[in-house]
Amino acid sequence: MNKGTGSLFLQQDESTEMAMRSCVPCISYAGIMSPASPENSPPPGKSTSHSTSRRNPALHRDSFIELREGDTRHIISENYAYKTESYYSILRHELDGRTVKPSSSAVLDAYVVPICLERARLAGIPVCEWGISQGYAPSPSILYGLNYFANNAEYCVAGDEMKAKEAVAHLTNRGKYPFCYQKLTHDAAISTCIVVFGKTTGKCRSVEHLARQVYDLFAIPLVTMVTVSNSESIKLSSLSPTRYSQLSPDERTLLNAYLHHQVFL
Amino acid sequence: MSRLGIFVDRKTMSNAEQLTALIRCRDVAENMGHNAEFLFPVDINRIPHMDALFIRTRTDPMNIAYVAAQMAAFHGIPVIDDPGSIRVCSDKINMYSHLIKKQVSIPRTVFLSKHDLTEKCVTRLFDTLGTPLILKEPSTSFSLRVEKVCDMDTFFHVARRFIKLSDWIVVQQYVESTYDWRIGVLGGRLLYVCKYTIPQETFKIQASVNGHIVYCGVQSVPEHDVPPHVIALGIDAANAIGNGLYGVDIKNSNGDACVIEVNDNPSIESGEDNCYPEVFGQIVTHLLKA
Repeated sequence: MNKGTGSLFLQQDESTEMAMRSCVPCISYAGIMSPASPENSPPPGKSTSHSTSRRNPALHRDSFIELREGDTRHIISENYAYKTESYYSILRHELDGRTVKPSSSAVLDAYVVPICLERARLAGIPVCEWGISQGYAPSPSILYGLNYFANNAEYCVAGDEMKAKEAVAHLTNRGKYPFCYQKLTHDAAISTCIVVFGKTTGKCRSVEHLARQVYDLFAIPLVTMVTVSNSESIKLSSLSPTRYSQLSPDERTLLNAYLHHQVFL
Repeated sequence: MSRLGIFVDRKTMSNAEQLTALIRCRDVAENMGHNAEFLFPVDINRIPHMDALFIRTRTDPMNIAYVAAQMAAFHGIPVIDDPGSIRVCSDKINMYSHLIKKQVSIPRTVFLSKHDLTEKCVTRLFDTLGTPLILKEPSTSFSLRVEKVCDMDTFFHVARRFIKLSDWIVVQQYVESTYDWRIGVLGGRLLYVCKYTIPQETFKIQASVNGHIVYCGVQSVPEHDVPPHVIALGIDAANAIGNGLYGVDIKNSNGDACVIEVNDNPSIESGEDNCYPEVFGQIVTHLLKA
């Protein structure tokens, strides 16, 4: 048996520390070794062997970047999902008592639609009205799965009863899981928008404002926002992860500016 | 009269004992003068109208129970299990990290990244932690994704399966025992104690053997028959997580006790509380005291 050592991570001996720095795989006893730890993570913007982008070689699929601003660490990732490296990197910082954005609870909340919307509503952000069902979906409505495998980017729009039935069968794995529905008005328009540190590129002022509010609440540097608008209002419908490959040239330039400290947080 | 919501999900209800326990819980609350009602996933919007919420379904940050817990927390409603406890206990990496931070005794434990799944690393693990090793996928429940491995080939086979579900997995020293103590803790105080006797066919409290599920035996044990250091360790482990309701599993081989895991939402339906008839009453009181 071993007792905890007083600090979360067991003290590494010198040889282990060297191994970490040289990226030789090593083992941490009762602790997490994150590839994004200060000792062994590539600095933002540095080239890596799996580069897919000439504009910013660090932004390759499944990688994540740690950006420091004073005592705060911003984790930039295309996938903050539960049990991923990004998630555990955030968790490690929290357990060590460091300030990290987004928080582990924020990333879990953001991608579960009812939690995201209720948290946003309580913060004064306009959100779509929602309900949870295990079978019936009103039409027209926008539907999201509520289970381990749900991806908010793959929402379904139930325009009529037949489409609603098909969508429900798909989202619930034929009744196994509940789902979240949001009623739509007949003049509703559904839009998606990528938000980089609370900013958007080429969007109207109301979308910009919503993006800023969402960032202030969840502090997720890279997120896709689904909104529902009509002639009267624009409301948040959901948040979902954003792949680097989905970034437009302008959005990539904006993200790069943050990574290179050309734009201050 | 207070309103107690008991959140259940019929999809995760697997036997009649669970249903009986739910009805017993409701009856206890009503006999105490409260109004208790079952809430299902479609009733989540009613949670803000409750005075307290008791979640009695499988918990995980990715399922509907977490939505219920957060909904209660957002509206300042006392809830068991609270979202923080669900986040920590549902993820063994998070849970063991909390225990280590508070210096609670656990078996020797390594968190292994998918990048470290190499022959060199695995050899070091066997050399350091011994044989056999226990591999755990972090979000496993009911020992579903817990495996004992004795050689490199099996290690890689199991680890690759688990790595598909999590970027990090848990590797642990194997501690042999014929039973686990289960220490029920509520608000930092002992609630009940029972023994889970491990079936002969397996090393887990529940396993599928030749296509049949085998379950552990359950024996409620009076407090005075439990080694005091086991109770103290259970309470320390629970306090390392939070102030809610926990079931702490402890192995006490040769008097050297260690925590195997801390569970939120512990089962109280198979006789765990036979020697402790006040369990549900204490839970209701704890939730509604505010």
